[in-house]
Amino acid sequence: MTTLRTEEMTLNMGPQHPSTHGVLRFIVRADGEVMREAIPDVGYLHRSIEKIAEKVGYHGFMPYTDRVDYVCAMFTNQGWGMASEKLGHIEVPKRGEYCRVIAAEFNRLASHLLSVGTMAMDIGAITPFTHALREREMINDLIEELCGARLTFNYMRIGGVAFDLPPGWREKALAYLDHLEPILAEYDMLISFNKIYIERLANVGIITPEEAIDYNLVGPNLRACGIKWDIRKDIPYSVYPDFEFDVPVGNGQWGKLGDSMDRYMVRIHEMVQSVKILRQALKQIPAGPVLAKVPRNFKPPAGECQVRVESARGDMGWYAVSDGTGYPWRVHVRTGSFAAMGIVQKMSRGLMIADLVTIIASLDVIAPEIDR
Amino acid sequence: MGAASAYFQNIKDAVLSIFEGMAVTGSHFMRKPYTVQYPDRTETRVQDTLPFRYRGILEVDLEICTGCLACERACPIDCIVITAEKDPKTKLMTLSQFDIDIIKCMYCGLCSEPCPTGSIHHTTEFEGADYSTESMIRRFVKDPVLAYKPSKGPETNPQILPILNRGLNYLSEYQVSGEPKPGAKVEATES
Amino acid sequence: MQQLVDRIIAGGAFGNNAPRDVIYVLFIFIFSAVVFLGVAFPFAGIVSWAERRVWARIQSRVGPNRVGPQGFVQWLADGVKNCCKEDIIPTDADAPLFKMAPYLVMLAFVVPWAVMPFSQDLILADLNVGILFFTSVTALTVVGVLMAGWASNDKWSLIGGIRSAAQIVSYEIPAGLSIFPVILITGTLSMQGIIKAQGWSPNNWFMFSNPFCFVAANILFISALAEGNRTPFDLPEAESELVAGFATEYSGMRYLFFFMAEWGNLFLIGALITTLFLGGWQFPHVSENRIVMNVLQLITFNAKVLFIVFFSMWIRATLPRVRIDQLMSLCWKYFVPISFVDMIGTAIWVAIWPYGNPVAGYILLALGVFGLVLFTRRVIYYFRESKMELYLNPTI
Repeated sequence: MTTLRTEEMTLNMGPQHPSTHGVLRFIVRADGEVMREAIPDVGYLHRSIEKIAEKVGYHGFMPYTDRVDYVCAMFTNQGWGMASEKLGHIEVPKRGEYCRVIAAEFNRLASHLLSVGTMAMDIGAITPFTHALREREMINDLIEELCGARLTFNYMRIGGVAFDLPPGWREKALAYLDHLEPILAEYDMLISFNKIYIERLANVGIITPEEAIDYNLVGPNLRACGIKWDIRKDIPYSVYPDFEFDVPVGNGQWGKLGDSMDRYMVRIHEMVQSVKILRQALKQIPAGPVLAKVPRNFKPPAGECQVRVESARGDMGWYAVSDGTGYPWRVHVRTGSFAAMGIVQKMSRGLMIADLVTIIASLDVIAPEIDR
Repeated sequence: MGAASAYFQNIKDAVLSIFEGMAVTGSHFMRKPYTVQYPDRTETRVQDTLPFRYRGILEVDLEICTGCLACERACPIDCIVITAEKDPKTKLMTLSQFDIDIIKCMYCGLCSEPCPTGSIHHTTEFEGADYSTESMIRRFVKDPVLAYKPSKGPETNPQILPILNRGLNYLSEYQVSGEPKPGAKVEATES
Repeated sequence: MQQLVDRIIAGGAFGNNAPRDVIYVLFIFIFSAVVFLGVAFPFAGIVSWAERRVWARIQSRVGPNRVGPQGFVQWLADGVKNCCKEDIIPTDADAPLFKMAPYLVMLAFVVPWAVMPFSQDLILADLNVGILFFTSVTALTVVGVLMAGWASNDKWSLIGGIRSAAQIVSYEIPAGLSIFPVILITGTLSMQGIIKAQGWSPNNWFMFSNPFCFVAANILFISALAEGNRTPFDLPEAESELVAGFATEYSGMRYLFFFMAEWGNLFLIGALITTLFLGGWQFPHVSENRIVMNVLQLITFNAKVLFIVFFSMWIRATLPRVRIDQLMSLCWKYFVPISFVDMIGTAIWVAIWPYGNPVAGYILLALGVFGLVLFTRRVIYYFRESKMELYLNPTI
């Protein structure tokens, strides 16, 4: 009786795939349905955006930052704006800061809607995706009235924002927020509390708090492990100290602490908190200019700076070095998705192939952010 | 009996949550779809419903272009090519080439901001698809023209006035530190 | 059908010395062609269009509505497009098996239409083992799917094929066990016999005849969905993981065969549930005219089957996918024990009340209607919460 020969399969979840969020490649070593390891292979979307900054200058780089993470472009705009302002010692007027926060929080809503929608679609439910996108379309309409574009906004400038709120926009925004809250509750009843969905997500891809800190995770991924770290509260920037909001943290009530269900629920709760911030901001916005006076050929003094922005995907770090000319010497972006790709390999050991899609979706990975 | 009660609890949870989910999707049968059936089944043309600030395809009103080349310098992707020569005797600029390559353009709006008269602006057109890349280079200068020289007082030429007002109206959407933009002294007059 | 043919021959249409076997074969071909080509395949195509429209409405959008009136020609256009595609067979694929797999799956979908009881006379072959024939032929799908997965020479297809085979084979058991209660009550396996044992009013349907049958009907519906690879059990062809599972390497018409089989299986699932539990074609005897009765019964049968088809589409749009190990544990740990309990419970029930218990029928029907009323109230609650206006027009 010969011994049964077993070997592992090496599968390629290639750069073209219907469910990886962007152009990602995974080399999966699997023993039947159970994975031994899923090795990520990134770099398919590298566009040398950081190098382009050295050619186009400070003002010209702003539209390029939209393309670093096109789903939450306001945060990248804000990050670059803050980095340049820190280098050039420019102060943004109060109304400009409020406009930034309003735009950023709307973008956070849109990004989280997209994230939970695609997550539901990857699990197999096709309807919550279209419902989430419908709500996102309404946010896109609002921002289109505000700044003229629906995805790559280029709304913020060095020293403030480009456009003031158009007349009647505040009322429309408040009406939209009133419309959104019951829809979020309905969304929960459709998918978040669905038994099949909970079975697919609970106890899958558990990240312990120590691992999360070791692997440098940020944003909802980190908060789902129970660690309460949000740049808006811990290293406050802009006018966030003026607002009252909570930072939702995972609590493991559906499975264990740090599983995919926690990451999903943290995003849902963050949406509710964003609505809260938006209502306060739209009420408290002061009058005044929205853009500080910045010369056309902006030449900050030589030096370096680092700013951190709490984007929808986590703590986005912007590091800029200036050498005194009108062109930056070096720009670097640190994004949350890059760290999340690192932990996929560790998390995937022992999971099933169907779970690989789940964990990629729950980490809310956006491919252009990884490769820039 | 923990396992048995967990067993029946599972069944009950499954049935109830599926019931709720089906009720939510069932309620959607009675709602109007959100789709806009572009391009032929909309009430008005979509381009006309877009806001004034919409950053569509660029357009240049050559009558009010001063030839300052601010847009060419501001463009981060080098899609604007302008050839303007200053005649040393008359001190007037002549524009012989103003090309915008709309394939390269990334619709960022950085060119329309520094324009002093608002001659380069975004329109609400977004349908630019075509079969050849050559047709995507919009050449706005057919024969060399003189650039516009803004007058010191209010503008008097009745042909230029509406175009100038539209351009300045477009520019007023951009807020620069609360101060009026240079050139805004030309307001709409009855004449 | 055989009686019809006998009457035609006795009526002298073919002369007096006509060879009966040849005429039988001729009529078999004609009727089969009518049913298979004229009903089964167009149904599979039309249900693809209907499914897209139903999903679209649930998803707040409009489905295909450009190609033909209300997009009705879309399925023809898809079919023609698929026929025009290049027939790609991967290099190292096992070509004979690769080509044969879609045909086997298609056979498993087409052949059971021979025992579909459309009305009291319109049944292609009234076998006295109708249900057994039905379940055994639909099990051919396993062979086809495994062949497709293996012969594609692609690891993703292999995983999809093996998942699907495991799923279909496992779910045959609760499906078969759920058919037993009905057979215990009627004592016959023939489709027409089972329908004739039911009445036209809902309290005479087998679904409401005893609580065990009620549960068995639901288990049968879910197991039949799992056998047809429909969501929530469509892991083998999970679009977001395995592209198209076992059908990844197929292109053109071969690919369409797999999907036509899946859509056509919807009718078979509906027909199974309708025949066994929902009273089939039973309609009150309002006319002595045989043709009128047949037409009314045909409409009743189709209405019930189409309702179940619509319900399957609704479920597919709502629920996420179940993972393969959860699917297996659901089958073996939940459905099989419950079906056993149903079977034994029905056996005890039939032993106590051999001719059925009408009171139980009314009580269960009342419970069913109550559940439906609760559901409708919930639907109206969600509709009111959304604060949108009522728009019932399906032809946007």
